Amino acid sequence: MKVFPEDLLYSREHIWIRIDGDLATMGITDYAQENLGEAVSVELPEADSDVEQDEPFGTIESSAKGVVELISPLSGAVINVNEDISDDIGIINSDPHDTGWLIVVEMNDLDELDDLLDAKGYHDFIAREAESE
Amino acid sequence: MRPWRLLPFACLRASENMAEDEAIFLLSRDRISAPTIRFYAWFAPAVSMGRFQRIDRDIELAACRKQSVDIVRRPTGGRAVFHEHDLTYAVVAREQCDGFPSDILGTYCIISRCLIRALAELGMEARMAEEGRKLPVTPAEAACFSMPSRYELLVRGRKICGSAQVRSHGSFLQHGSLLLAFDALRTGQLLRPHSEGRDQQIAHLRESVTSLSDEGATLPDMEALCRIMKTGFEVALGVRLEEGTLTPEEEALKERLLRDKYTNDQWNLRGRMDR
Repeated sequence: MKVFPEDLLYSREHIWIRIDGDLATMGITDYAQENLGEAVSVELPEADSDVEQDEPFGTIESSAKGVVELISPLSGAVINVNEDISDDIGIINSDPHDTGWLIVVEMNDLDELDDLLDAKGYHDFIAREAESE
Repeated sequence: MRPWRLLPFACLRASENMAEDEAIFLLSRDRISAPTIRFYAWFAPAVSMGRFQRIDRDIELAACRKQSVDIVRRPTGGRAVFHEHDLTYAVVAREQCDGFPSDILGTYCIISRCLIRALAELGMEARMAEEGRKLPVTPAEAACFSMPSRYELLVRGRKICGSAQVRSHGSFLQHGSLLLAFDALRTGQLLRPHSEGRDQQIAHLRESVTSLSDEGATLPDMEALCRIMKTGFEVALGVRLEEGTLTPEEEALKERLLRDKYTNDQWNLRGRMDR
């Protein structure tokens, strides 16, 4: 059974969020990277662009020829993009909850955090997903 | 399980085929529209590129233009497919409520079972590829059919149907191309070789790709072939496909995508649209 870090929040679209004041670092969860398979291409927004809650902020393609849209759990301005990924895209799979982070967003609306799950809530959510498959 | 919708066979321009598939996919997230299957052909020969492919690296643009071959970029992943003698399918459904898992490979596996049933009706014993596509050291070959991914379909060890997906908001669109005939030379002239020269690429395609004609199948007309495919999906999925049409919302979104995206070089050639 997968363990999800307690200090992160999670969306039902399988994005993790680390909060630091009004900044939110985001990446895909370990569960998401496993469903995706080996990442081979990624498209992320540029710094200074905006992201919106429930809208795609990027896409990842896996070696299985599947493209997955990354759905933003929060609205705000992108202030940083993980440039290490262009050197080694494998960190999205090998270290999704840490060095494989994707973007940092300055949040517009802290109330949007209320929609997110804690580690236990996310764990239960994916268990229910698995049961219904 | 919800009833499924089967859209009528159509032979459309490349841009229209992609606009229709994406419109169905984007509106599937509201959970109102039924899971949907389309079988279709291409009004004019066309190369469909994968979502992340690069035109300069993967496609012989001048050759395509000289031979009046349309170029369109799919919303799905994977590599380039030359559509001239193939039957393309598009499946749009939701994870879980339509009986599909949330992972890419699991979805391929289920749809491949449907295609295996259909091919068996044509007297062909297809099986799923077991090994996944390895990450290339050198840039991947441009042609989709140059290598099978796990759960793609092989007949006598040669690829006969290539597939690719896009997933978002709990829905997926899977594209696939079932080869009715295959011209390795023509395909090799339109797609750029990477790690090997052109002659080697064409030889490799000849060795690794097959088609219904190459396997000696008596090709039914498209209508009959679509009926066989329909039955394959119904039996393997345990659902009934009911013939339907696009909803007004899907028609409107298709028109918008056709105008703004799939007839736009910004998308087709460069793969970027302003969000």
